[in-house]
Amino acid sequence: MKKIAHNAFLFDASRCIDCRACMVACSVENKIPMDKTRIWVAGVGLKGEYPSLVRASMVYHCMHCNEPDCLSACPVGSYSKRLDGPVVYDPQKCIGCRYCMNACPFGVPHFDYDKGLIDGAFIDKCSMCTQRIDIGLEPACVATCPTNALAFGERADLLTDAHTRIAAHPERYVDHVYGETENGGTSYLILSHVPFKELGLPELPSRPVKDVSEEVMGLTIPFALGWGTVLTAVAAGVHLYNQKKEADAQKLETSEPQTEETK
Amino acid sequence: MPSTLSRRDFLKVSGAAVGALVLGRFIPPQVAEAARTSGMLDATNSGYIPTMCEMCVWRCGLLAKVEEGRVVKLEGNPDHPHSKGKLCPRGQSGLMNTYDPDRVLTPLIRVGKRGEGLFRKASWEEALDLVAQNMLDIKQKYGPEAMIFSSTHNLSQVQFENLLNAYGSPNYGTQRSLCFNAMIVSNLMTYGMEEPTRIYDDKLSYILLTGRNLLEAISTSETHDLSAAIDRGAKVVYLDPRFTKTASKATEWLPIKPGMDLAFHLALLNVIIGEGLYNRTFVARNTVGFDDLKKEVSQYTPEWAAPLTGISAETITRVAREFAAAAPHALAHNGWRTSNFVNSFHTQRAIGILNALAGNWNVTMTDGGSEESATLGQPPQPPYPRISAMRLDGVPWKYPIVPLKIGVFQELREAAISGTPYQAHGWFIARQNPAMSLPDRGRTLEAFGKMDFITTIDIIMNDTSWFSDVVLPEASYLERYDPLLPVGDKVFIRQPVIEPQGEAKSALWIYKQLGERLGLGDFFQYTDEEDYLRQQLTPLGVSLEEVRAKGYAELSETPHSNETNEPSWNTPSGKIELYSDTLAKVGFPGVPIWEEPPQPAEGQFYLLTGKVAQSTQFGSQNNQLLHKYSDEPRLWMNLKTAKALGLADHDMVEVASTAGKIHIKLEATQAIRPDCVYLTPGYGHLSKGLTIAYGIGASDSDLHVTYTDPISGGQALSQTFVTVEKI
Repeated sequence: MKKIAHNAFLFDASRCIDCRACMVACSVENKIPMDKTRIWVAGVGLKGEYPSLVRASMVYHCMHCNEPDCLSACPVGSYSKRLDGPVVYDPQKCIGCRYCMNACPFGVPHFDYDKGLIDGAFIDKCSMCTQRIDIGLEPACVATCPTNALAFGERADLLTDAHTRIAAHPERYVDHVYGETENGGTSYLILSHVPFKELGLPELPSRPVKDVSEEVMGLTIPFALGWGTVLTAVAAGVHLYNQKKEADAQKLETSEPQTEETK
Repeated sequence: MPSTLSRRDFLKVSGAAVGALVLGRFIPPQVAEAARTSGMLDATNSGYIPTMCEMCVWRCGLLAKVEEGRVVKLEGNPDHPHSKGKLCPRGQSGLMNTYDPDRVLTPLIRVGKRGEGLFRKASWEEALDLVAQNMLDIKQKYGPEAMIFSSTHNLSQVQFENLLNAYGSPNYGTQRSLCFNAMIVSNLMTYGMEEPTRIYDDKLSYILLTGRNLLEAISTSETHDLSAAIDRGAKVVYLDPRFTKTASKATEWLPIKPGMDLAFHLALLNVIIGEGLYNRTFVARNTVGFDDLKKEVSQYTPEWAAPLTGISAETITRVAREFAAAAPHALAHNGWRTSNFVNSFHTQRAIGILNALAGNWNVTMTDGGSEESATLGQPPQPPYPRISAMRLDGVPWKYPIVPLKIGVFQELREAAISGTPYQAHGWFIARQNPAMSLPDRGRTLEAFGKMDFITTIDIIMNDTSWFSDVVLPEASYLERYDPLLPVGDKVFIRQPVIEPQGEAKSALWIYKQLGERLGLGDFFQYTDEEDYLRQQLTPLGVSLEEVRAKGYAELSETPHSNETNEPSWNTPSGKIELYSDTLAKVGFPGVPIWEEPPQPAEGQFYLLTGKVAQSTQFGSQNNQLLHKYSDEPRLWMNLKTAKALGLADHDMVEVASTAGKIHIKLEATQAIRPDCVYLTPGYGHLSKGLTIAYGIGASDSDLHVTYTDPISGGQALSQTFVTVEKI
């Protein structure tokens, strides 16, 4: 069994026929309840006007970010990042707070508002089929894909393969591998024949959202201390000013009877 | 969550059904023991067992993952040429057919009126005795020809045919006339074989698909091969009135007017012959009738075809020239469900001839061999009784060139209603659902009404079982043996990976039991399923245990040896017949000619049918896993047409033809010609025994009008015209 340093997927939207074999395979392999799924179809579907039409869709699941926002947002450590790629979720630790849902830039963790905090959280996300990859099998979705729209392997090799495909057919592909740098790099890499936006993918900086948020959050204490100092100074100034004003007023109004009552 | 990332809406399944995947039977004794002995399962009854899929007729090789006696996952078998390690969504969902909570697991005998769905459980003894007694009564009173036998393409069909022939009835119904009679009969006339095998090698550079929606009507290995060819940069020209997923991946989509494919192909022949672009050496050496063809097609110019097809003369001419330039690395695909219009036979002939003119034999097309192999053994049996009665479906007396094994199913149904040339009284149905598949469902139910006795063999309560007197529960394809299947130079096995649930039994067992009760025991000389397979394997000198462990055995000789010799074809002339004397002798045109199909009147639409990747015909809609990932079946209509009619997406509409009417939701889409509507078949079930599928969508069989192609006997499935109104 070849040891893979960084496991990743490569999805080629130009090859995907939207047959949903991956979705069924995932459901069976991971015993997903009939009303839930770990894989979704996204994209604009049909575009254009009869008879000049284009179809664009992709299957997606957890992107297994190199620097996962979910992990950074989770207050109880439900998420962990394995060194060889998978972002793993532990439902035992989850308290249903939904921070990960707000943190994930790809909208993978999901919440069912009808079902409440714990039952409604559907964070049973793609695990990269660790039970399979740990014994040398491809994830269930990849293994069954009839058109090889999904591939799996060493992330660096897949990136090379992706760039080779673009170079071989520049007329077909957008000259970019989504996930190579987005959000600090993901382990679900995407090639497309239409702009990535049409597949429903957000435009993200190469700097992970998590870094930005951590940097910002890291400023909390200095910010609080600084702002606190300013506010204290202002409060003190206001207090002194008010005291002075009061004293002045007292001097002026000592002759009036009402002021006696207020004292 | 970014608003652009939308989630699929899931049709929720009932609470009782949710989680059915983790229920079920535990520890199969016999199957597990045998599998343990051959090393496939370990001490906990876990491991992988090779077998074959039955979710469609492509029959991919499977590796069934078993844990403690339960199938938990199916993988494509890398050793099988039809799967090459992959499975489509239907293949992946196959275990849910086996674990369907709606399985029929004991024999059932009807107690209410037909169609009421009231049955009582019965023992096999009682049910088989009842079926046999009725069949004997009918034979005695009216003769064996009064029994109709019908079954759809499956591996135990050879023993179904054995039962039919031994019983002595000529009345055999298959699904083929509802599907690809036009293709099969035309290939028999042109190439002397039902369907040449297509070769997708690295050099294949031009593929012409006539309505073959290969990326949705998936045949795993061929779908893979087409996709890989597209990826390599092969040009794919796709004719279809709908913008299917195949259209979206094709180099060029030509939204041709329905029924006009014949005009398009005749014009291609006109250009290729007129401009001398055909392979002269190949045509001279390997074909007959070129001059007759040349004379006939000289009138079918691209300018003539343009207004008929809606495709410009320039495009037709260009496609013809491109196809010829790419030859012999060019392929005109026959298509599969090809009986669409009464002229479809000629369309299929024209496609076959186009390939011959390109000289692509043994380059992109070849003889793929047959499902029957002379090298396999079979149990001994006496000769069949002589049959003198005419066939009810008109073969051969009305349809002289349609093979007996294929027949004209819709005409058989018509004869069951009219009682001419004689009245049928019983119907024996195995793994088939004519209440959904035959056109004009009202007439099919009327034909059921004429029967004294109906019995159905199936794994679930399909719509035909719902109207039957006895339902015999078959073991699912993961629970039983079927006869061995030759594919190329190997023979593959379907074997049980778990013990049958409930009282379900294999078809091999059921046919033998019935045969014995009908006094035909000599025709079923096998003690059980394993004995049957052992007799098949005898000439190969391979043990059943070896085949079970490996999943296949090598055949001692390759079924075709065309590569070394000069090619020859099983036609009267031994060559590819551009002109067919066989056709001419029975009064049909010897070369393809133009026959204009009927067109819808003002305010009417062509009703198109087709395939989606998440269902197979009429039997998979109750599978929870497929249901989970299926789109809601709605009536496609062109967006602009819908607007003009004041209809909006999701409006409930009434669709009517001369056969009947249905109510269904509208899908207003750009992806269809303005003069067509489309409906995915397989919905609108009648059986309330299908708790998932019942109540979803509507059936196109309520609308389809029965029209038969006079040459091939194919039902013209796209020749029904409908009106659409808002409810």
